[in-house]
Amino acid sequence: MMDSNMCQASKSFDSETAEADGSYEEDHEQEIANAEFGEADELKPVDSGANSQLWITRNSSHADFEDDLENINISNFFHRVDSDQIIYQSKKRRLKLVGKYVMGDLLGEGSYGKVKEMLDSETLCRRAVKILKQRKLRRIPNGEQNVQREIKLLRKLNHQNVIKLFDELHNYEKQKMYLIMEFCVGSLQTMLDSTPDKKFPQWQAHGYFLQLIEGLEYLHSMRIIHKDIKPGNLLLSLENQLKISDLGVAETIDLFAKDDTCFIGQGSPAFQPPEIANGLEFFPGFKVDIWSSGVTLYNITTGQYPFEGDNIYRLFESIGKGEFTIPSEIQEPLRGLLIGMLEKDPYSRFSLQQIKRHSWCTRQPPSEGLPKVPVPPLRGDVWHSLTVLPYLIDHYYDEPLEDMNSEDDGSRHEYITERQLNEMDERRKQRDQTFVVAENSNGNAQSSSSSSKKSSRWKKTISCMSFRTIPGCKQS
Amino acid sequence: MPLFGKSTKGPAEVVKALKEAVNSLEKGDKKAEKAQEDVSKNLVLIKNMLYGTSDAEPQADIIVAQLAQELYNSNLLLLLIQNLNRIDFEGKKDVAQVFNNILRRQIGTRSPTVEYICTKPEILFTLMTGYEHQEIALNCGTMLRECARYEALAKIMLYSDDFYNFFRYVEVSTFDIASDAFSTFKELLTRHKVLCADFLETNYDKVFSHYQRLLNSENYVTRRQSLKLLGELLLDRHNFTVMTRYISNPENLKLMMNMLKERSRNIQFEAFHVFKVFVANPNKPKPILDILLRNQEKLVDFLMRFHTDRAEDEQFNDEKAYLIRQIKELKPIQGH
Repeated sequence: MMDSNMCQASKSFDSETAEADGSYEEDHEQEIANAEFGEADELKPVDSGANSQLWITRNSSHADFEDDLENINISNFFHRVDSDQIIYQSKKRRLKLVGKYVMGDLLGEGSYGKVKEMLDSETLCRRAVKILKQRKLRRIPNGEQNVQREIKLLRKLNHQNVIKLFDELHNYEKQKMYLIMEFCVGSLQTMLDSTPDKKFPQWQAHGYFLQLIEGLEYLHSMRIIHKDIKPGNLLLSLENQLKISDLGVAETIDLFAKDDTCFIGQGSPAFQPPEIANGLEFFPGFKVDIWSSGVTLYNITTGQYPFEGDNIYRLFESIGKGEFTIPSEIQEPLRGLLIGMLEKDPYSRFSLQQIKRHSWCTRQPPSEGLPKVPVPPLRGDVWHSLTVLPYLIDHYYDEPLEDMNSEDDGSRHEYITERQLNEMDERRKQRDQTFVVAENSNGNAQSSSSSSKKSSRWKKTISCMSFRTIPGCKQS
Repeated sequence: MPLFGKSTKGPAEVVKALKEAVNSLEKGDKKAEKAQEDVSKNLVLIKNMLYGTSDAEPQADIIVAQLAQELYNSNLLLLLIQNLNRIDFEGKKDVAQVFNNILRRQIGTRSPTVEYICTKPEILFTLMTGYEHQEIALNCGTMLRECARYEALAKIMLYSDDFYNFFRYVEVSTFDIASDAFSTFKELLTRHKVLCADFLETNYDKVFSHYQRLLNSENYVTRRQSLKLLGELLLDRHNFTVMTRYISNPENLKLMMNMLKERSRNIQFEAFHVFKVFVANPNKPKPILDILLRNQEKLVDFLMRFHTDRAEDEQFNDEKAYLIRQIKELKPIQGH
């Protein structure tokens, strides 16, 4: 019944929806069904290299690209549709491919754009994709340069403690860039935030710190100064391996430079060394990373910052003096290591070699029965299971495995009218009242067999479909 | 308690029994077969003490400490390695496992086995000569790389005369042994950055005269791997002094220019990464400049046509364009 309705509704719109059909994506503003500008979403794996710079430079020179509206053909935009013909598109777990990668769920969001999980359909490796929108990037000072620099650096790096960049794809129509990177489950910062006192037990911090030093030694041997070491930029892989990430403000020293002198200080204020806080004209670059690693170590073992201030001036004033206290619960040898790394004078500050030989590093601290701080679950899933899987199941096992209990059910029906929507809402309310839905909240991770059983049960009791979210469909 | 046989032997007895068995294996008398069996059996016992089995946990720290102490006192580690080729296949693997476990042992910040081996460097030298015996080469390789993780042990190996045997080992005709030797060789030269840089600086002439032979090797794999490692070593910031010295020698430049013309594209590509350092050097010594000037046009021409199908490799094309510009703009030093 519902199905045939649906068919009619969508049939009458066939002509207009054809293009939009391909370009549907829930976070996109251009979901107006009858608009002409939605291009087919198939992203050809563009031969990245030369073109990658193209879209950034080409458009930054044409600064007239300011708004999406300018892209839109005005006559199409004001195309009139009768109100009974307005259709909604249900949020649908539809398989989406970008190049050879299958799109999964959102992992996180940064100022540059979203990070989603992906599955490489050729190697079946889990990946994370950083989706950069040029529009957002242009609003960030030096955003584009930083991204270009980061890509250039990451391409030549290969170390187990530095995040790897595998691939780079472009969608010129949507002004998007996809950076395919190693899959990580979270940063040290997200882990700290999930604990009451915002710190790790020493034995756990010890493991991360050693990996940080390994990765840093590699970066320095490649003549790279990271300049933005902090818990938020230290990610963890599924195997609990630390990955230094975000080389957006990193600086490479010239191959023939006599020393590591640098002139520009960038990065997060609370992790900046006194030489930058005091505005020195030049300073030894590698010691900047030593300092911020010291602040990081201080932070992850005490839950506090060595230097604080209400605003950046106060903060820099406090850092500039270089005076700090270490909580009394921190004993030797960690105390000595922190003092050595947070030495005000960069020339007498510890070197990586000294850190590696320090007795806190050479000895694994006893666990003292303190439990390990886990990586916080992603949307309730402590195992961080593959989020691409439900999409694949939906795509390849259409009807029988459809999970009526999940929020994404009804996904086969793509377009519905407002009247149908209201009906369904109504019915869902009724259903929610009659049934106490005491089902597994983790619907996505359900095994296919159990979900198929459930769906048949549901189908007997109520022959309806339900959904919760409607994406931003605009009326035209 | 085991159902059959004696109840578990203590570390001292096991070590003693193993030592006797290895000794009689060494003599190779009539009882050799029996000795072989005893060696295997006792090795398994020791291994189980350290690693545990499917139904038994590893022994308590105190037992392991006793075991380690017995091993040091009886000099058994060296004895085992010296007789490794006489021990059966599984036994060889057990020796490597026992050795690596004992090596990793820590008391506080101390690594007692590392300290012990420092006083008995023959252990390291015997392991290194292991690459000469096909049947034990790979077992020795795993133990050597475990040793190389410790700076003190890596230092002993690097600064020994035996280190230069590696230049021979990495070229042997058995591919798996040559590869294993190369990874140990690479580990020794790259693992401890400061130590390695010091070593290369103080032994520059000796090391690089040996290294030259690898780059000229008949063996394609050796040539390619050693060229790649050379690039990595020279571009490592820690080896700055070594790099400046290497790129001032015109012989090295000639070698790289010849390698740019090698038949193998992989070798050409690796050679490019070393060659670029000579050209990019802002303070080129006269001999280097002379060679580049003499070949100025030919080089520009060559580079224009060099790996043109790498269109997607932005970094490479940037570097190539930079080199072409640099070479085009070369001028003889004023006043000469």
